[in-house]
Amino acid sequence: MADKPIQGEKKVFMTGNEVVAWAALAAGAEIMYGYPITPQNEIMHYWTRLAPKYGRKFLQTEDEISAGFTTVGGVLAGRKAFTATAGPGNTLMQEAMSMAEMMRIPTVLVVTQRGGPSTATVIYSQQEVTMTCYGGNGEGLRIVYSTASHQELFDYTIKAFNTAWKYRFPTFILGDGYQSKMRESLTIYDPEAKGIELIPAEAYVGKSGIPGIDRDPAHLRNTYNLEDELYEVVKGHVAAYQRVAPEIVEYKEYDTDDAEIIVVAHGVVSRAAQGAIKVLRQEGIKAGHFRPVTLRPFPVEQLRKKADKVQKLLIVESAEGQLKRLVTDALYGITTPIETLLKPGEGVTVEEIVEKVRKLD
Amino acid sequence: MAKGSKIAIAGEGGQGVQSVAMIISEAAYEEGKEALYIPNFGVEQRGGVSVAYVQISDEPIGSPKFKTGDIVVALSDRAVKRTQKYVGPQTLFVYDADIEGIEEDLPKNARKILAIPAIEVAKNELHPRVFNVIIMGAVIGATGVVSVEKAKEALEKKLGYKFEQDPKLRELNHKALERGIQLVQELL
Repeated sequence: MADKPIQGEKKVFMTGNEVVAWAALAAGAEIMYGYPITPQNEIMHYWTRLAPKYGRKFLQTEDEISAGFTTVGGVLAGRKAFTATAGPGNTLMQEAMSMAEMMRIPTVLVVTQRGGPSTATVIYSQQEVTMTCYGGNGEGLRIVYSTASHQELFDYTIKAFNTAWKYRFPTFILGDGYQSKMRESLTIYDPEAKGIELIPAEAYVGKSGIPGIDRDPAHLRNTYNLEDELYEVVKGHVAAYQRVAPEIVEYKEYDTDDAEIIVVAHGVVSRAAQGAIKVLRQEGIKAGHFRPVTLRPFPVEQLRKKADKVQKLLIVESAEGQLKRLVTDALYGITTPIETLLKPGEGVTVEEIVEKVRKLD
Repeated sequence: MAKGSKIAIAGEGGQGVQSVAMIISEAAYEEGKEALYIPNFGVEQRGGVSVAYVQISDEPIGSPKFKTGDIVVALSDRAVKRTQKYVGPQTLFVYDADIEGIEEDLPKNARKILAIPAIEVAKNELHPRVFNVIIMGAVIGATGVVSVEKAKEALEKKLGYKFEQDPKLRELNHKALERGIQLVQELL
């Protein structure tokens, strides 16, 4: 077996796509199934360049439907498999992700959001929030991490494999085109050297022993004949999801303690929000920032506590209200006024948020 | 030098603006600064307007996009039009002197506007292929955002394999870099 891809830790300056490939290697991913789409392409390119050096594998499929299902298949066979896609590719992969949701298959999917709908732009947006959180025919029993920096892209890609395998729900890293293509510095590391235990993969099919005698049979179904049968299964999954959600939920707060206005933003837009809070505080405006790191499950209780105490909420996103829907759903019944700065498909700058908050104040 | 520099370079796909941005940001990173480079382009590989955003700072960098640049460089007529919105009262706007018919489109609110003869110098004095390195020199000359030494090291890292095959290329690139710095400094 080849040496570990990363020894100890190392400071690097690279693109987000490169970061994901290194993180997947470090997390012990054994195979990537993929189909090219911008801005995700280089995840595949870097992976195909790096993987053979460390005994890992790659399969390019004929499309994203196939990439999604081969990932599911790889996981069933006990491989730490993952895939990555964007935009229309994410749309096609929802079919396989619904299956993963139904069969509790720990798939890992990295989404690098581009503009939408359809082909739209190849660059950037935050317009894949709804699809990633709730895509497919089902209840959206997934885990979605929205990353804001290259460091987080690395940290959460590693974490996603553990989360997926621990809880057995499809797990997503929701990045974006900016993160894919931009270069910035970060520290990459060997997770085990940092004390992060990597949860091993386990095969769903082809296990040793005789089913029903030596072990429980693998009862893998995504088809049900009767509505009451399905009801019971889905209810079971929902209950399991709700049970583990509090352990999974992550969020970050910036200057929210005495805040009168809270800016809610996720992913890369959170960086502009953080910058804006600094400027606004210098002007004496009591603004704070709440950032959901997990969009699914959403930090409902944590945001409710804050929202109840402030005078106003401002939702900022590079989409036309996709984050807003998650927020209003979470805050149902709370009467704090909600304002928005919605820029579908366009980046958000510090200056724009500052200007908007000044007007609200 | 300013605490932070926000740089936007725009040109036609194939003019090499993305390479320039990448080399400058690499050089800044190697110099121990925080750097963030993000390319922005259309669906087409070549032929569209391509914009590169670079931010260099002593502190961690926030949002990848910014509203107005400290320096905005436009290398084609379409790029001049496209980059107007990144110009503010603090912006140094640099465009190539060979671009025709853009007098009306030049930003009205820039701190300073410079027309540099980069295309001409590349064509008549050096070599068309080092046009983008002249631009790189102009950006460095105008901002002082990285040292000439680090810029040369970053060039070496990016193009070293070509320099090995033909050492004259190294010389040509270094000359282009220095010429770019000179072009902009003469006008500042």
